[in-house]
Order: sequence, then C-alpha cells, then structure tokens
Amino acid sequence: MAWIVKNSAAAQIDRRDQPYLDQDLKTHIETDVLPRYPTKRAALLPILHAVQHKHNWIPYQALEEVADFLDIAPAEVADTATFYEDFWLQPKGKYLIMICQSITCELMGQVNLLEKVKAKLGISVGQTTTDDRFTLMTAECLGSCDTAPVALVNESLHEKLTPENFDRILDSLS
Amino acid sequence: MKWSFLPPEDGDRRYLAVNADEAEPGTFKDRMLIDFDPHILLEGIAICMHACRIDTAYIYIRGEYHAQAKTLQRAVDEAYEYNVFGKDSFLGKINSLAPHCYIHRGAGAYVCGEETALLESLEGKRGWPRIKPPFPAIAGAFARPTIINNVETIAMVGPIVQHGPDWFKSMGTQRPEDAPPTVPASFGPKLFGVSGHVNRPGVYEDELGIKLSTLIETHCGGMRNGKKFKAAIPGGIAMGILGTDQYDAVLDFDVGKKYNCLGLGTAGVIVMDQDTDMVAVTRNIIRFLAHESCGQCTPCREGTTWMYKTLSRIEAGDGTSKDLDLLLELAGSMGAMPGTTICGLADGANWAVRTILNKFRPDFEARVRKHRYVSLSTAGVR
Ligand SMILES: Cc1cc2nc3c(=O)[nH]c(=O)nc-3n(C[C@H](O)[C@H](O)[C@H](O)COP(=O)(O)O)c2cc1C
Ligand code: SF4
Ligand code: FES
Repeated sequence: MAWIVKNSAAAQIDRRDQPYLDQDLKTHIETDVLPRYPTKRAALLPILHAVQHKHNWIPYQALEEVADFLDIAPAEVADTATFYEDFWLQPKGKYLIMICQSITCELMGQVNLLEKVKAKLGISVGQTTTDDRFTLMTAECLGSCDTAPVALVNESLHEKLTPENFDRILDSLS
Repeated sequence: MKWSFLPPEDGDRRYLAVNADEAEPGTFKDRMLIDFDPHILLEGIAICMHACRIDTAYIYIRGEYHAQAKTLQRAVDEAYEYNVFGKDSFLGKINSLAPHCYIHRGAGAYVCGEETALLESLEGKRGWPRIKPPFPAIAGAFARPTIINNVETIAMVGPIVQHGPDWFKSMGTQRPEDAPPTVPASFGPKLFGVSGHVNRPGVYEDELGIKLSTLIETHCGGMRNGKKFKAAIPGGIAMGILGTDQYDAVLDFDVGKKYNCLGLGTAGVIVMDQDTDMVAVTRNIIRFLAHESCGQCTPCREGTTWMYKTLSRIEAGDGTSKDLDLLLELAGSMGAMPGTTICGLADGANWAVRTILNKFRPDFEARVRKHRYVSLSTAGVR
C-alpha cells in the first residue's frame, strides 16, 4: 500500500563516513543516466535502482547523497523512494523470494506453496531468516500466469512451482 | 488514432512512451513479445517516431521484468549499432531529427501502468495519476506533447505499414450495418493470453471475434482434468467477469456491452472451473486493487480497503446478507465513470465486484446464510 505513511521524520539515520554513492556510481550516472532525461529528477528511479543493485538496499544516508548529487530536496527523494515497493529502505536477505499471490497463481495453488515455504524457512511474509539469507515476500502478478504459480528469487523467475520443486530450488542456492 | 491528437510542431521536443508496465493479473502477452521479438517493438517505435516527428522514446518496463529489460537493452544496443537510433540514424537523414530510445525501469507499482502515472514515474516522482485534461498528447512527459501506447499496439505498427490497412481489416469482426455508432469495429489480430484451469495455458494469436469456447477448446486443449467451465475473466481482473452461460461469448471490443462487463481490456483471459470459489476470487481481486491503489482519491483508497475487509469477512463465514448490498453500494460509488476518482483503477474494483456478485450471487448467499444461521437440526440439537 503505497499510500501508507512511512515513518521517515523520526527515522534514525545510521551514518558512515564512506559514501554510498561512490565515484563509480557517480560516473555511471553522469555518463549513462543523466543524458537520457531533460530533468535531473527524472534520473531518480534509475539511480535508486543502481544504488540498490550495489548495496542490496537503500540506506537513508544514500537518499541524502542522491538528493545532494541531483540538487533536489532530500524530501523529494524520500517521497519517490517510499512510493515504490521494489526499493528496500531497510536491509534484506541475500535472496529475496517473492511469491506471486495474484488471481491465477492463487487458482493454481499459491496458498499451499506459500505455507510450505513459510514452514521451511521458519518465517512469515515480510521477515528475514536469522542468518540473513532469505527474505520472504509476496508479489502481485509477475506476468507469467501461463506457468502459475511462479516466484521471483532475486532476478530469476521460477515457474510451475510445487512445494517439492521449489524446495529443491531453495536448497540449491548457496 | 491517438497519434492525430498531437498539436502542430513548435520546434521543441515531443516524446513517445511505450507502456510495458504490464502488471494486470492474467496478462502476459507483452512479456512474450519482448522475450521472443523485441525487434518488432523497436521497428514500431522507429516508425512512430518518424511519423510523428518525435526524437525521444522511452520504454517504461516494470521493475519485475529483469530478464526482459536485459533482452530489450540488447535489442536497443543493436538498433543503435545499425543506426536505427542515434546521431547517425538513417531516419535522421530523412527527417533531420536524432532519434533516441531509452529503457526506463519501474519499481513495483501497478498504478504506473496508467498513462499519466507512468509519466509522473518517468519524471522521477511517485506514480500518481494526473487529473485530465490536459491530455498527454498536449502536455505529457516533462510537460511536452507525448504519445503513450501499449507494447502490443506499437508492435503492430510495422506489420500494418508493411501489409497495408486492408490486410489488417481483413481480420476481426466488422461493425454490423445497422449498429449504433457506439459499437466499435474490432479489426485485426489479437494476442490472447489464457491462464487458469485449462490444459494448455499460453499466449495465442487469433482474430478478434473468436469465441471463448473456441479459444479454450481448440487452442488450449479444453478444461483441465475434464472439469466443467464456470467463469472467465475476459481481459485482466479489472474487466468484470463472464458467467457460466456466457461460455460462447464472442471476444471483440464490444464484449463489454454484449455480456455486461467492462470490456476486452488486455485480452488476458483467466479461466475458472466448476470448483472455483467465487468469493475467494473476488477477495483476491479486491485485495490486489486495495494494495495497488495510489491513495489519492478517497473513494478508491477507502472503498477498496473496505470491500476487502467485507469480502474477507464473508469468506471466513462471518458475513451477513446486508454485506452483499453494502458491497454493491460501495462498488457503484467509485470510479472515473461515476466521476468520483482520477483514474480507472477504481472502476476496475467497481466492475469486478458488481459483475461477479450479480452473476454469481447464489455463491455469495450460500456463504453468508450457511454460516450465519445454523439451524438446530444441522447443529445436531434436534
Ligand atoms: C490502473 C491502470 C493500470 C493500467 N496498466 C496498464 C499496463 O500495465 N499496461 C498498459 O499497456 N496499459 C495500462 N493501462 C492503460 C493505459 O492507461 C493506457 O490506456 C494504455 O497504455 C494505452 O495504450 P493503447 O492505446 O496502445 O492501448 C492501465 C490503466 C489503468 C487505469
Ligand atoms: S482511482 Fe485510485 S489509483 Fe486511481 S488515482 Fe485515484 S486513488 Fe489513485
Ligand atoms: S497471477 Fe501470478 S504471474 Fe500472473
């Protein structure tokens, strides 16, 4: 629910000296991203994707650095970042499991699959295992309804899942 | 058709935005197109840019399509290499523009598929649909004239230019002679993405006007496990539902008025068999819409959540028959068509609830009555 107000005003910002938006990222943004758009703010989504790709999540300090870099208010960056569910503003596990819960997947057995995965990992939706390996989430239609039920593990899509074959897939991850 | 709304040129930039934010549950045709033929999309983009004198195109692809974004990026790189796009473009030599094509990845928000929300997202803002007018053709991306089309629409441009409009019109259904002007003609081929309880789900290309029963029986190998057909959603969950007696429905752009649902939508057909629990289906659909509502309009934000709570209650067996009337009243009060919301997401909730409840009312009534009034004899008291 994109409109639920997130607690950002009172958020404690963990700081570190080393910037998240390092020189590599800055160069990438300046050469590949900014020239594509007529305004700087338009580069925000690609930049947030790049930061998340590098650090696995987007710390508040990184939001401030991005704001600084683009010459816009930190609030504007936070405004955008909090709207999109793909942007993780808190740490997540090494593997993000997103099980589709939309209509076709539910018709094809998603509920049972999700229960089995929860039991296997010992966590519920929204939680991360204590060894920081798996974070379990539900997703909305992943655009692969013909092979339902499906799940996304990081960037790879797994199709025609059953509790058994998904079990094997999860076991095969390092 | 939309292309003709562009204002006359004033020398400044105009944009093309290709809508690849496919997130409507039951819809996966755009993914197929990108997976198997990204070049046909780029061909359409190049033609559109030339025809409308546009110099920048963005393909807005949803964040979850990781593999597809990579496929597209490779195809775009190739197109640059062969001077379709870029400063040495062969199109540029004809029309003196330097066409560019970029991929912009979304980040997990269904509502960004709505055209003005897509533009907001492209500008780096939250995906809030804009109040129209002004329409995007006048003031779209970065306040400049912008064309927005779906992947399938743009991919169709190349073949139409190649084979001519008569070829396109030779497929599909004609408007009946005496039909009122509100009845649309449905020309051309269409990608039908069929999923759910059928033997061979997948994307099938056929002419508009195909019967649902033909689609299921000849293309999809019939219903799974020999079960009976119960219902189908014609094109993405926001379009309402086709009932058991509408198995032979003709799928064209007039499907809405003929069979009392909203329309063909994305032609992502979701088929359900006799064992399907319609209350759970409705609950799932409304949960999706409540979750994806952007929250700008009160009827949509509050209405979808309220309906979700009510439906969950009915599903759990705690509903009363009054809840059914409440659902209908809530549904009727929200949407861009009753004029209470900005975008069509709320209409989707409205149509889904209204059509399912009207066509499958006994399913709901059995739920509310059965659990509410347990007679003494069923409880074993007498
Ligand atoms: C809530 C909402 C979500 C939408 N999602 C999509 C989508 O994911 N993909 C899409 O192509 N169109 C989507 N649309 C429709 C677009 O607003 C727009 O009509 C479409 O891109 C026009 O393309 P066409 O003229 O080529 O069909 C959505 C509309 C609404 C109201
Ligand atoms: S109808 Fe719903 S999704 Fe659309 S703008 Fe209003 S609140 Fe947002
Ligand atoms: S409903 Fe799960 S992929 Fe479409």
